[in-house]
Amino acid sequence: MSSDLPAFAVQVACDLGAEFAEARLHENRETACLLRDGEPEPAAIISSRGLGVRILCKGALSFAATNDLSRDSIRILCKDAVRAAEASSVILNKRIEFCEQKGVKTSWRAEERKNIENASVEDLMRILWELDKTLRHDYDGITFTNRLLTISTMLEMKTYVNSDGAQIESRVPRIQYSSYLTTPFEGKTFTVTIPPGYSQLGGSGGWETVERLNLQEYVPQEAKILAAVIKNTSKPPAGVVDVVLGPEVAGIVAHESAGHPGEADRIQGREAAQAGESYLKPTDLGLRIGSDQAFVSDDPTIGGSMGFYLYDDEGVPARKRKLIEAGVVSEFLQNRATAREFGLDSSNSASRSVAFDREPIIRMANTFVEPGDYSFEELLEDVKIGVYIKSFMEWNIDDRRFNERYVGLEAYLIEDGQLKGLIRDPILEITTIKFWSSLDARGRDLTFNAAMCGKGDPMQAAPVWTGGPHIRLRGVGIGAR
Amino acid sequence: MMNLEEICVFVLEGALKAGAADVSVLASDYREDMTRFSNNTVTVVKRISNVTVDTYVSKDRKRIVGSSSDPSYGGLEKFTNALVEACGSLQPSPDYMPLPEGPYQYVSHENYDVRIAEDDLLLIDTVKKVVETGLHAGASRLSGSLTSNSVRSHLLTTGKAEGSDKKTGIVLNVRAFADAGGSGHGLSCACQLAGFNPLDASRTAAEYAVRSSNPRAWEEGSYDVILTPTVAANIVQNVGAASSAFAVEAGISFLSGQLGEKTAVESFTLRDLGCATDGLGSRSFDDEGVPTKENLIFERGVVKQYLHNTTTAAKFQKVSTGNAGIIDPHPWNLVVDEGDYGWEEMLQDVKHGVIVTNNWYTRFQNLRAGEYSTLPRDAAFLIQDGKIVHPVAGLRLSDSIPRQLKNIAGLTKERKWIQWWEVEIPVQTPAILIRDVTVTKPKP
Repeated sequence: MSSDLPAFAVQVACDLGAEFAEARLHENRETACLLRDGEPEPAAIISSRGLGVRILCKGALSFAATNDLSRDSIRILCKDAVRAAEASSVILNKRIEFCEQKGVKTSWRAEERKNIENASVEDLMRILWELDKTLRHDYDGITFTNRLLTISTMLEMKTYVNSDGAQIESRVPRIQYSSYLTTPFEGKTFTVTIPPGYSQLGGSGGWETVERLNLQEYVPQEAKILAAVIKNTSKPPAGVVDVVLGPEVAGIVAHESAGHPGEADRIQGREAAQAGESYLKPTDLGLRIGSDQAFVSDDPTIGGSMGFYLYDDEGVPARKRKLIEAGVVSEFLQNRATAREFGLDSSNSASRSVAFDREPIIRMANTFVEPGDYSFEELLEDVKIGVYIKSFMEWNIDDRRFNERYVGLEAYLIEDGQLKGLIRDPILEITTIKFWSSLDARGRDLTFNAAMCGKGDPMQAAPVWTGGPHIRLRGVGIGAR
Repeated sequence: MMNLEEICVFVLEGALKAGAADVSVLASDYREDMTRFSNNTVTVVKRISNVTVDTYVSKDRKRIVGSSSDPSYGGLEKFTNALVEACGSLQPSPDYMPLPEGPYQYVSHENYDVRIAEDDLLLIDTVKKVVETGLHAGASRLSGSLTSNSVRSHLLTTGKAEGSDKKTGIVLNVRAFADAGGSGHGLSCACQLAGFNPLDASRTAAEYAVRSSNPRAWEEGSYDVILTPTVAANIVQNVGAASSAFAVEAGISFLSGQLGEKTAVESFTLRDLGCATDGLGSRSFDDEGVPTKENLIFERGVVKQYLHNTTTAAKFQKVSTGNAGIIDPHPWNLVVDEGDYGWEEMLQDVKHGVIVTNNWYTRFQNLRAGEYSTLPRDAAFLIQDGKIVHPVAGLRLSDSIPRQLKNIAGLTKERKWIQWWEVEIPVQTPAILIRDVTVTKPKP
């Protein structure tokens, strides 16, 4: 994508008085296919392309976006952005400033061996047809009478220019799959998702990514397990037990109760009326919130990940962020404005936008519990009575990221170090401090799930990974529905 | 750049030339201004302008939808040709129905205020007053967003349906914080400035914040719960989504198999209105060109109809209800009929309960059964013997929507329009009292 238009916009904005200006030409293309009970619903081809401009003027921040890419329109856009910033500057209590960041001229892309644009709707439908065939089987008395399968390819291309001299082009293709399955059983009807928890299987990369997802093996395998889960009626043990969590659960907890509360804009109250605030305060770096086994990181540079990038949407080189280290809050996720507030030399590259008409804000990329050195069997071995929650469906957390709940889907009783059979809907309802303080061991495995994380106003759904190893919590309360 | 009518003609003719049989083109010009604020100061002002073209094409019973925001001649030509070509490579759909035949007469909804559409600096001054009002009412800090938007759209189909629509909207979402853990939410949303009351919303948020300071202990258990309109709307929007015939057919609706069944109490009547005064979701025509109208989803507790487009209607042997969504029919504006309770009267009807003024993160364990939990946020109050006793915090409601619909004990006369970050479909609803809701908290 040519840098002419963004460069032009930056120049116009600066000429009009902006102290800082950036412009992002941002294009998204998506092809999605949907198969319902073996019948095709309309496929979808969605594309958006436009220019988003952000400026600082007289201490105020303004963002404007358009998909009319004529130079006249861009001039008007910049004029409106400067005018709005000037108007709001008179009622500001506090100037907004960015930390210094030397501009870089570069281009980067996610690895793409097979061009994603060559994947056709026929290719996508073929995958769904084959999966649907396997899902129509009888799974030991369970037949998924309703099956809603969806697969999509996405391509995101950006050209970013700012008045600090940055000029960065990028290209990230992605693929994702998700499905809803419904079945009646003994007078009740159940809807589950594959993967569980309303998440997706996905990653960045070209069409070769679909092989890596290994859907033909994963989906029927998961369907078999879920059929058994639906048939099971055994309740979980009540009271205080040891709990082993699978990577899917570890990942969502890391995202919800370590990643989100560590977003510096949330900590400062910028998201208070929408996604909420944080139980962490700006002075809480160095605060102990968990055991010395609690390690949570967020890393945009993981190859093949949904949240992959090498430069963020402020032109800052991406790096891994160590959010929690040995139970201590180690780092917040920063953009250039919050980094300035915190007195830092640089942001840690957490600024992302999902579309041209969305302001870049602090987002996670790929958030995970760091693996340890236990095998799965070692995690179980000295559990006298406990619960292994491998996957979940229902989850939520309060708007300060402190009171959280995860309801198990595939879950087992542990007795004397052995898995003893499925249990239904164990509920882990716990505070963030209790969770991370109870963590006493981490597995050496590491897997990720894809998800779309919602934040911002207007809302932005950012592609991310959540992940971790199996982990063990000692002595936590489990409930039942 | 072409105007909206020209875009529709260009795309429709291009699609037919490329071999399409049915074509529906919806061109929309969307503009939004937003001023966000937190800690009593403006954080960012935003202006978004976006012309999008949503197109449905069929060819040999194969069906595809597309959306483009490149409204240039070259961009639209490329988009249209790619769409028709991709359509041709799909499998025929056994559900294929041709687009409905017009032309139609459309009702205008009058939800357009030129002052909202044209005054781009309206918001900044209003935000200043909102913050001042909230602080004056006792809050220590306020956060929120004030958004105005205007949408003009034009639709053209091969079924000879053609229409234009325009609307404006203005929404204030404000949260106030007081000392000692108190917080409150205020909301005002309207299509015209005459119906917009931002300072009342700010005052409400601040008063809730002050009253909810120093929350006290409470026990897990079963409570009667009064859901204020903001919270009721969060639940009702899920009822509206479940009424989509697509959701029913896909097996993910808790209203599946409930047509004609008494699924809620007698006092619960729910309508979907295509055009409603101050209904932010209003539009005169659906994506197939069918005029939108009033649809009775629930009447005195009985499920009367699902929401249909032409395809789902044919499968259910009904007629379209004007709710396309080519794939997924959806509500436009959900309206719950008023009840007969005054607020004080509803309070007095609660022996042991809580008032929940706001909530978020509603998530389902079993979507088909409607089993879910949600987190109250901001002010919540314990009620004993008809009186508010003290504020509480840290609650979680765990229930099922079908159970709740059968355990509605009352609805207030007064209703409010709700649309904000957590409630996407606009809902006009009273406060609702529900018996015996499980309320939980984290295990120690």
